[in-house]
Amino acid sequence: MTLTVSVRGLAIHYGRRLVFQDVSFDLAAGQAAGIVGANGCGKTTLLRAIAGCVTPRSGEIRINGLMPRDAIARTGVAYFGGEATLPGSVRAAQWGTLGAGDDVTQEGRRLRTLSRGTRQLLGLRTVLGRHPLGLILLDEPWEALDPDGSRWLSAMLETKRDRGAAVVLSSHRLHDLAGLCDLYVFLLPHNATVLPAHEIVSVGPVPAHHLTRAFDRLRGGPLSLRAT
Amino acid sequence: MRDLPFLIRFFRVVPPVPPMMTGTFLVLTLASAAVVVVNPVRAPGALVPVLLLQVFAAASGFALPARRGHFDLLLTRGSSRTLIALVHWAMSIAPGLASWLVLAVVESGVRGATDASLLASGTCAAVFVVSTLPWALTVALPRFSGAIGWVLVSVTAVTFSSGLTGSWALHSTRIDEVIWAALTFLIYPVGAIGQPLAGAQLTAALPAVTAAIGTMTAACGWIARRDIPLEAAQ
Repeated sequence: MTLTVSVRGLAIHYGRRLVFQDVSFDLAAGQAAGIVGANGCGKTTLLRAIAGCVTPRSGEIRINGLMPRDAIARTGVAYFGGEATLPGSVRAAQWGTLGAGDDVTQEGRRLRTLSRGTRQLLGLRTVLGRHPLGLILLDEPWEALDPDGSRWLSAMLETKRDRGAAVVLSSHRLHDLAGLCDLYVFLLPHNATVLPAHEIVSVGPVPAHHLTRAFDRLRGGPLSLRAT
Repeated sequence: MRDLPFLIRFFRVVPPVPPMMTGTFLVLTLASAAVVVVNPVRAPGALVPVLLLQVFAAASGFALPARRGHFDLLLTRGSSRTLIALVHWAMSIAPGLASWLVLAVVESGVRGATDASLLASGTCAAVFVVSTLPWALTVALPRFSGAIGWVLVSVTAVTFSSGLTGSWALHSTRIDEVIWAALTFLIYPVGAIGQPLAGAQLTAALPAVTAAIGTMTAACGWIARRDIPLEAAQ
């Protein structure tokens, strides 16, 4: 089955505070979307909304035409919110078995005693070990990874995407997102702009400096330049 | 229901009851079992510390670990939220239930099943109430909140009404006595341990049992409907 994620006029509030509004994009199986934005602009919230954990105030999300909570029961979903979401008292080897049921690691120590990068890698390997995967939602997945881990993750995501998974990633590390994504969702204060990769560069994968330039243009220049 | 084995496996890896508390249950069970074997008449008293610990074990709290992302693997798997809530409750009360059953089996072995006070209907009702109300009251709160609140109410009630703990033994079916007994059972259910529920006492136990079922239903509904944003993302 070909998976499609459709986000239309999405607006999310926490109480009275508007997190973002007017977010719309479509993503098909075998495509990747990168969510880019400053701290606190709602990248995590957007990913959790797609995962069915947060209900939008207005607008809608449909995955294969279904509401997220109904869709994730039918679609293999890998969601990971970062190493800080792992329960520190659990032993690493036990956590690893919760993915596909296979041993991800033999490490017997508790998660809180591991380095951030090791926890991040374990969390990623656990969720990405599930199969089949139709939708991958990762929040700052390259955070804290060493170069080997980063390369492993990028290669894994390319493989999963090429095998037909729809991938949605948020990251501040534009050089990791660049080249991997087919469209970029720039979350700006109170609105969003979606640019397909071919609108940033006409041919080939998007280089990181083009992505940075596009982001700066949309928000009116880098923060440091705007301050002066 | 096909997700049930995974849910049980998940809550065994991420137990709602801290391992140290499970260890305390083990120690209490051994000590209480020794009391029951030496003096079977004291079996109801031997169960009291187990039920007191059960109040705290059941008050495991759901929302806080969920908002920290600890349950993301479950919540993004598409399992029924109601089923998740029920398994979380079952895993929260499992150590206390196991402890009670072990003591009941020991008492039955010593006194015979027909005389076992730990299998009396009053005991079953008390175990049900202390295993459900604290869980339901703490679903949206930090761990132990419901238990602390309940113990505070119990201690305050016992302090200001010295006859409270003895008022479970109804002598008549007068409405004011039944209401007082119902209130007593709700605040201090361990008073019913070893008592058979019949007639007025059954009537007096019903409000607390109904309240436990009602709050349990409301708590499961809350978990099923509630948004779970990340604590750090708000």
